[in-house]
Amino acid sequence: MTVQFELRTQVIEPQRKTFQHLVDRYGDRPASRYEEGTIDLQATANYHFRPLWGPELDIYSPDYSLLKLADPYSYVDPRGFYYAPYVTSRADLHESFAATLGYLEKRGLFDRLPEAWRALFAEVVLPVRHYEAAAQMVSSHAARFGWGTTITQCAAYAAFDRIGNAQLLSRAGISFGGGTADSLADAKVRWLEDDALQPLRRLTEETLVERDWGLGMVRLDVTDQVLYQLLYTHLDDAAITGGAGSYSLVSQHLSGWFADQRRWFDALYKAWVADPEHGADNLATLRRTVADALAAADTALRPLAAKADELVGAGCAAALDQAVAATRTHFADLGITTEES
Amino acid sequence: MTLTPDKPKAKARKLSMKERYSALTRDLDWDPSYVPADEMFPYTTFEGIKIHDWSKWEDPFRLTVDAYTKYQAEKDRRLYAVLDGFAQSQGHLSLTDASYLNAMKLFLQGVSPLEYQAHRNFAYLSRHLNGPGPRFASLCQSLDEIRHAQTEIHTLSNYNKYYSGFHSYLHMHDRVWYLSVPKSFFDDALSAGPFEFLIAIGFSFEYLLTNLLFVPFMSGASFNGDLPTMTFGFSAQSDESRHMTLGLEAIKFLLEQDPDNVPIVQHWIDKWFWRGYRVTALVAQMLDYMLPRKVMSWKEAFELYFEQQMLGGLFQDLAYYGIKPPRDVGKAIQEKEHLSHQAYWILYQFSHAAAFTTSVPSDETLDWLEEQYPDTFPTYRALWDKEKKNVANGGRHFVRGLPQLCQVCQIPMGFTEADSPFTICQRSVVFEGERYNFCSDGCQNIFEHEPVKFRQAWLPVHQIYQGNCGGADLGDVMQWYGMQPGDGGEYLGSPDHQNWLRWHAQADHSELGED
Repeated sequence: MTVQFELRTQVIEPQRKTFQHLVDRYGDRPASRYEEGTIDLQATANYHFRPLWGPELDIYSPDYSLLKLADPYSYVDPRGFYYAPYVTSRADLHESFAATLGYLEKRGLFDRLPEAWRALFAEVVLPVRHYEAAAQMVSSHAARFGWGTTITQCAAYAAFDRIGNAQLLSRAGISFGGGTADSLADAKVRWLEDDALQPLRRLTEETLVERDWGLGMVRLDVTDQVLYQLLYTHLDDAAITGGAGSYSLVSQHLSGWFADQRRWFDALYKAWVADPEHGADNLATLRRTVADALAAADTALRPLAAKADELVGAGCAAALDQAVAATRTHFADLGITTEES
Repeated sequence: MTLTPDKPKAKARKLSMKERYSALTRDLDWDPSYVPADEMFPYTTFEGIKIHDWSKWEDPFRLTVDAYTKYQAEKDRRLYAVLDGFAQSQGHLSLTDASYLNAMKLFLQGVSPLEYQAHRNFAYLSRHLNGPGPRFASLCQSLDEIRHAQTEIHTLSNYNKYYSGFHSYLHMHDRVWYLSVPKSFFDDALSAGPFEFLIAIGFSFEYLLTNLLFVPFMSGASFNGDLPTMTFGFSAQSDESRHMTLGLEAIKFLLEQDPDNVPIVQHWIDKWFWRGYRVTALVAQMLDYMLPRKVMSWKEAFELYFEQQMLGGLFQDLAYYGIKPPRDVGKAIQEKEHLSHQAYWILYQFSHAAAFTTSVPSDETLDWLEEQYPDTFPTYRALWDKEKKNVANGGRHFVRGLPQLCQVCQIPMGFTEADSPFTICQRSVVFEGERYNFCSDGCQNIFEHEPVKFRQAWLPVHQIYQGNCGGADLGDVMQWYGMQPGDGGEYLGSPDHQNWLRWHAQADHSELGED
């Protein structure tokens, strides 16, 4: 015979399981913290004033983008990120990066990089921190002007991620520069002046002034897909073969982040295409935008790849072709087919 | 092949904390050359604010993404542990009284949606301000604000399971008459330009009035056994102090950039002080009437947090820039012994159309109010004595008609003249053939500066009369509001009250013995 540990508590039957808007949407079941903290949070009606800075539209409006969902909450973040799990996940990411950086510093691994890879890091990779900073701004624009909290919340966290990536690269740069900002200062001049980087900077600036938050995010994402494959997948691999393991140690954190970014963004593409009301229009817009953006990314990254090849001879030109093709295939798998130009 | 390290180079000078922070934030910025700057930053010229040098912005705090996520994750881990423990142990039963939750209903309906709005518009600043320093500070605040919205929802979600009035707070925020007061306040800020928003929310809301708007709810929680809300309040404190320093830096920065900015900023201070002060009417009545266990009176809070700290401190410093105290501050001071009584009297009479309950204050509360307001409360007490008789005769007082609303603050026009506290204050202005009504000179002045903006206001009473709120009778409107039986009206005998009594009677106190 066993004796149970019996803790008596007062049992009180709840009057309701969750908030009414969640019962209306999902039925009478308990809601998750993601749902309670996200669904229907943005106002959709009875705005008091038109913006002084743009009276054509309301404070919030689906018309800030051509890309629309009939019900924005038909989309949910597959990661289920509300603030608490988001910051927890990013605290882990940055802690793990700090451990990498600590190791690289302790073992003097930046100094042990082969000369060509040192140059690649300083002249091609570090300047990309400015691209990441711009990506924050593009994402913040979407966080303000997007329609529906499930989408804008993803964009807001992505914005913080991008400035986080910029800081991650910058911290690597400070470490690489022996604890000084010299290599960052040099990288900034390159971002502003180097021929190999100007097409990317031009594309970045053009993406920043896109007022349509959806198109801005798509253009950014297309460039991201190609750039991340090139810098943090292809060159990561080449670095290991080329005796530049410390480059791989840094880039793993960026490619790891990008896999996470793909999860919410790819789900959004699917939701856009599958939308019962706007799906066909969205698809047409996406096919056009992705095709243009892919061509633009190809053009913009061509000189960067050539410069990388010049420095480390790692077959980046061919890798760029592959990255563009893989991106095209990736979109085709999402139902967004584009003609090869 | 890996090379052996070179001989250690001459030791380079390491970065100072400030330099490092700068390298990780503002140094990421560059001046665009492939697109025009005004296309890159289209919203920062129309307000007339002149900024000559964005680099003069002093970063109000130095927090990088790694440190931010680490601190915040740790704070949330502790907060959610408290929420879970409280829910599991039926902690709501140890509140002072179920009627305390009226304060939290007002908070969830009226304040949490504002946190969310702040989140969205700080995201706007984090894209559209020209300077990388203020952009990054805004980005952090944008994240903090969604944290606050979500942690408040999660904190109060447990009460929603057991009590009325919480269930449709979002739907109500966009529709119900008294909630159009805070909603229109924030819509006003979001529809303004980025600099006005900085002064409206960053400075006025988060600095000037935060101790009157936000803190009373948290203090009320700690005095009334609401451990989750109190824990949330503490957890938000370090975020709030960052927001306060941002607000203060914002105003200093604008004032230092160009003398032409001073009159513009002065007008915004005048406007947003009064806008915010009017919203605090809801807080004033909460402090004096809704908390079963009192923290401090509205008058005391106003004197301490506004007259002493702001007028006696902050505005002395701002005088250096030529900034004067808000235009109508004298009227707010004159009203401090009346505001809460008038506001609660309005809510008491209209609570049948609200998602909180009201009741005649207990004798204990009436005595306390008389101690706090010896000069003015006797008059209000006479009203309550009369109402007690009505209640005893089965005639609890509710106003069946619809009130006239102030065009600007949207509060029913029940406030009195500041210098003649028993005469209802009514102002009006005719603009392009239409008459607009105001509760005060402060609200009238705001309208006269921006009539084209304020005539757009979505006034709940007008909307009902125009047939936009579900129908013509009260029942239709209540349904359109999303009200459920028991949400509003009289507290005594309400479902919350009855449940409270039943749950406490059920509790097994036999171990305590007799008496």
